[in-house]
Amino acid sequence: MQENKVLTRRVGKYEALDVEAYKALGGLRGLEQALRAGPQAVLEEIERSGLTGRGGAGFPEGLKWQAAAREDKYPKYFICNADEGELGTFKDKVLLDGDPWAVLEGILIAAYAIGAQHAYIYIKGEYEATCQLWEKLALQAEQAGLLGERILGSEFSVSFHVAKGRGPYIAGEEFALIASLEARRPMSRLKPPYPTVQGLFGGPTVVNNVETVANVPVILAQGAEAYRKLGTRDEPGTRLFSLSGDVKLPGVYELEIGSGTLRELIDEFGKGTTHGRPIKAVQPGGGTSALLADGSLDCALTTQTIRKAGSGLGTAGVIVYEEGKSALDIVGGLLDFYGFESCGRCSPCRIGVVTMKEIIERLSRRKGTADDLERLRQIGRACVAASTCGMGQAFPLPVLSALELFPEDFNAGLRQTSAKEFDSRIVR
Amino acid sequence: MKGAKAVKAFKMQTYQKLLEKSGGVTKESLFIFLGKVQDTFGYVPREVVCDLAARTGVAEARLYGALTAYGDFEIGSEARD
Repeated sequence: MQENKVLTRRVGKYEALDVEAYKALGGLRGLEQALRAGPQAVLEEIERSGLTGRGGAGFPEGLKWQAAAREDKYPKYFICNADEGELGTFKDKVLLDGDPWAVLEGILIAAYAIGAQHAYIYIKGEYEATCQLWEKLALQAEQAGLLGERILGSEFSVSFHVAKGRGPYIAGEEFALIASLEARRPMSRLKPPYPTVQGLFGGPTVVNNVETVANVPVILAQGAEAYRKLGTRDEPGTRLFSLSGDVKLPGVYELEIGSGTLRELIDEFGKGTTHGRPIKAVQPGGGTSALLADGSLDCALTTQTIRKAGSGLGTAGVIVYEEGKSALDIVGGLLDFYGFESCGRCSPCRIGVVTMKEIIERLSRRKGTADDLERLRQIGRACVAASTCGMGQAFPLPVLSALELFPEDFNAGLRQTSAKEFDSRIVR
Repeated sequence: MKGAKAVKAFKMQTYQKLLEKSGGVTKESLFIFLGKVQDTFGYVPREVVCDLAARTGVAEARLYGALTAYGDFEIGSEARD
């Protein structure tokens, strides 16, 4: 198993603001090809390539773009979502810092294909240096004739804006991001209507993750057929895996989809666990994905196989926990974060996360009551079923899976008394 | 009192310069502009919120509602002026 560098092949090879160096390394070929072929051909090419979204949901990009391109409302918007707040995920930063022109090229091709007049990039505020880099990059690109009116001498014009995130984790969610750019509170809403129909300022909008966008110039430059040679039939291409947690060598590794297993990723690239202890659990798709126990780590790195194993590939942020940690500590830490970041719009998430955290805290103090575990399960399931946005639907997953995988950790937190007796003691 | 007035005048002057540099502000660029105000002053002054509300037609209350939802926006300066 070895790295297969497609998106990261230019990372660190050129000075970030130097467009000429980027061109010399084979850059802008995708954009030139796109402008020659016309928007319809680009849409078809992307559809043929089978590119799926890399931000967590894995939606087919061809469909999304076509839905926005079909709309008859103007202006249209394209947003590149660089607000990667998911725990254990830091792959976008590598592309934003290491190969920003490729990301910009992808944004331009996408905006051209869907017929957008405005393109935004929404960068996580904590990436201070990256934000500054992109502001300079936008000026440079304008001087180089890559932004603004009649790009590269074609009929295509687009205005480009760099927005800096201002803190909230939830602003990385599609609708919350849109609300944020509209200078409203960052909150999700129910769908449909999807953003491709009614998004930013009511116009058709496509929101794409940075990694997805970085795939676009590659597809255009080498053609969909060549692109499909990598990866599996359902998921062509490569993915950036952010490996973190209890491993010796955390980092971002680009692997062909389906080329290895989760265990190989941890052992070969992560060089094993920090203290050499066995692995207790792994979250393969960021902080909101279900835990996988040591027994199910031999699944291939594709969305389907990981789903079959009982989790999700999500943002491909692999977090490793080694033996010696209590499951209560693991989920307690996660719930702390999601409790802080819940936007409070819908009640299952707003109330559920706090209640679940209270129960976990109680269990951690060995004060858990007999029905606490069942209550934890019920609240978790209710949140999954009834929350508005992806965060509310996903944050209970690690807790629910931990309950299945490590019941002994939870049982250890029980005080051996009945709920009735416990409650009556508190009341008095 | 004279000092406070001078501070206020200076603040508005800085704000006007920022406005000119960004080529005005519309609903579309409001979020990015608020960010620039925050980065310039270290907070978003009350006078600026007033003025932005008038310019963009967004209610002042809505602007405060939004500003307070973000951890990185401040609506008052640490040092009282």
